[in-house]
Amino acid sequence: MNKTMKGSFMKILVCVKQVPDTEAPVAIDAGGRWVGPVFSFRMNRFDEYALEEAVLFKEFQHDVAIDAVSVGPERVQAVIRRAMELGADTGVHIEISREGYMPPEVIAAHILEYARNKGYDLIICGAMSEDCMHAQVGPLLAEMMGLPSLTAVIAAHMREDGCSLDIEQEIEGGLRRRFELVLPAVISVQTGINHPRYPTLTNVLRAKRQPLKRIMAREIPLMNRFGFREAATVKQGVMITGSMREQAREVVRILHEHAIL
Amino acid sequence: MDKHIVIIAETGATAALPVTYELVTLAAAIDPDHIEIIVLGTDCGDIAHEIAGRTGLSVTAVSTSVEYTPELWKDILSRIIPGRGPDLIVIAHTACGQDFAPGLAVRLGTSCITAVESFSRTAAELTFTRAILNGKAHMDIVPDLSPCVVTVLPGAFEAYSAAPRAPGSIEFIQSDAKPCKIMPSGMSHPEEEDAIPLNEAEVVVSAGRGIGGPENLDLIERLAARFKRSAVGGSRPLCDLGWLPYRQQVGLTGKTVSPKLYIACGISGSPQHVAGMKNSQLIIAINKDPNAAIFQVADFCIVADLVEFIPLLLDEQDGTL
Repeated sequence: MNKTMKGSFMKILVCVKQVPDTEAPVAIDAGGRWVGPVFSFRMNRFDEYALEEAVLFKEFQHDVAIDAVSVGPERVQAVIRRAMELGADTGVHIEISREGYMPPEVIAAHILEYARNKGYDLIICGAMSEDCMHAQVGPLLAEMMGLPSLTAVIAAHMREDGCSLDIEQEIEGGLRRRFELVLPAVISVQTGINHPRYPTLTNVLRAKRQPLKRIMAREIPLMNRFGFREAATVKQGVMITGSMREQAREVVRILHEHAIL
Repeated sequence: MDKHIVIIAETGATAALPVTYELVTLAAAIDPDHIEIIVLGTDCGDIAHEIAGRTGLSVTAVSTSVEYTPELWKDILSRIIPGRGPDLIVIAHTACGQDFAPGLAVRLGTSCITAVESFSRTAAELTFTRAILNGKAHMDIVPDLSPCVVTVLPGAFEAYSAAPRAPGSIEFIQSDAKPCKIMPSGMSHPEEEDAIPLNEAEVVVSAGRGIGGPENLDLIERLAARFKRSAVGGSRPLCDLGWLPYRQQVGLTGKTVSPKLYIACGISGSPQHVAGMKNSQLIIAINKDPNAAIFQVADFCIVADLVEFIPLLLDEQDGTL
């Protein structure tokens, strides 16, 4: 593995998102607004891989600064601190005063406001957020900043020249497309690109007391109208009931009926 | 209400991928009279003929200097598209589509709506629907800007199959756009195939995060072993955890399967997973969460902890042999 960038300082920005716990109940109000949950949040799993990738670059080349940024209400500070526990040197909170859904183009525009002219060599995002699954913030941000971007990145290594990356992009059917990507650039990483570690005690203690850089977000106009609703159970299958033993018996009967056993 | 639609074809090495024809179905449902297709590639002439022949639609074949890069595709498309004045640009929600569509939207001064699964329309406007929260809820989006870029989830629409009266016209363009910041450097196949490939198995028993720990994979394997020509599959998170190799992943970024029987064990049913297994002939889902989205595609649903349920199932099966 080669993550070395020869003889120069490297600045990485990792974009992290706070998402509702997978098990948390969905709350949508009568007006089609997505209002909950109001507790039970954690870091988007894809972003844990994004952070670990930044930490790997730092491990192989010591002169690397990692900033982690998140956009949202005060509660998102929890994932920014989590990012610092996982190895980010600095946490940046772009503060939005209200709760509620934010489209990817708005999130990207907020990050752009902060990140432009900061001299980041590499911006790493997760491939998508687990809650909204737009898979857009990375490529949108890249285009807004005039940077090249690759998504579904499953391997990223510094090239000999120290100013470009060898990238493997995961495509359908388990194949990989390979690219050379000139820095500065934005990559959106797939889960599985690395093995995220647990936080070290030093980082946990540091994340507790180190202040965050806080920026008040400006208003970004919306480009689309949207509403939410709980999934209609279009084709709800037959619910097998009874004791667990009775259910097992019923499944065996069904398998016989379909001539599979 | 006329809607001019541009479809960007998704192609393999020698043919258009099935999703291209699914995009045509969506477009034809919106406005069958104003559709055109753009196909890009180093050598896309034959594919352009195939598409024009199967759909009867006019096709623009753009011959590129190198293989796909998102930068090159955005450069070419942002030059070609504005002159054609579309209201809607339709792209497949594949690795490639997800890669270039959002940036293309920015270049066209508009927004992108990704992973669209269905749409509805009124006289004045189109509404696109996509899944969120692993399929537990839906999001309806009405674009306010024109053109609008949408990416469509593979498998969401049937492939277009109406026989055309005559093949569509083909316009050939030689693009002189050169890669600048992103250079393509070929393809790789990271893993060898299984002895019995997942997509040829007649029974697939798949595990998701709900199995709890890798020690419970043994239950999945024992269940699979009860069937002839069976294979063990898994959801993306399970492969990410390293509990199963990626070649056993079922879903959009893994394998697409349509076995006689698919048993989903502890799988939540994200659209990405469902896209890879929904055409199975019989689907049985076991999940602790009664609201799991997998129950919407399953024929038979069991709300149970599979660590308790599978041993009982194996036991009951023994009793009937």
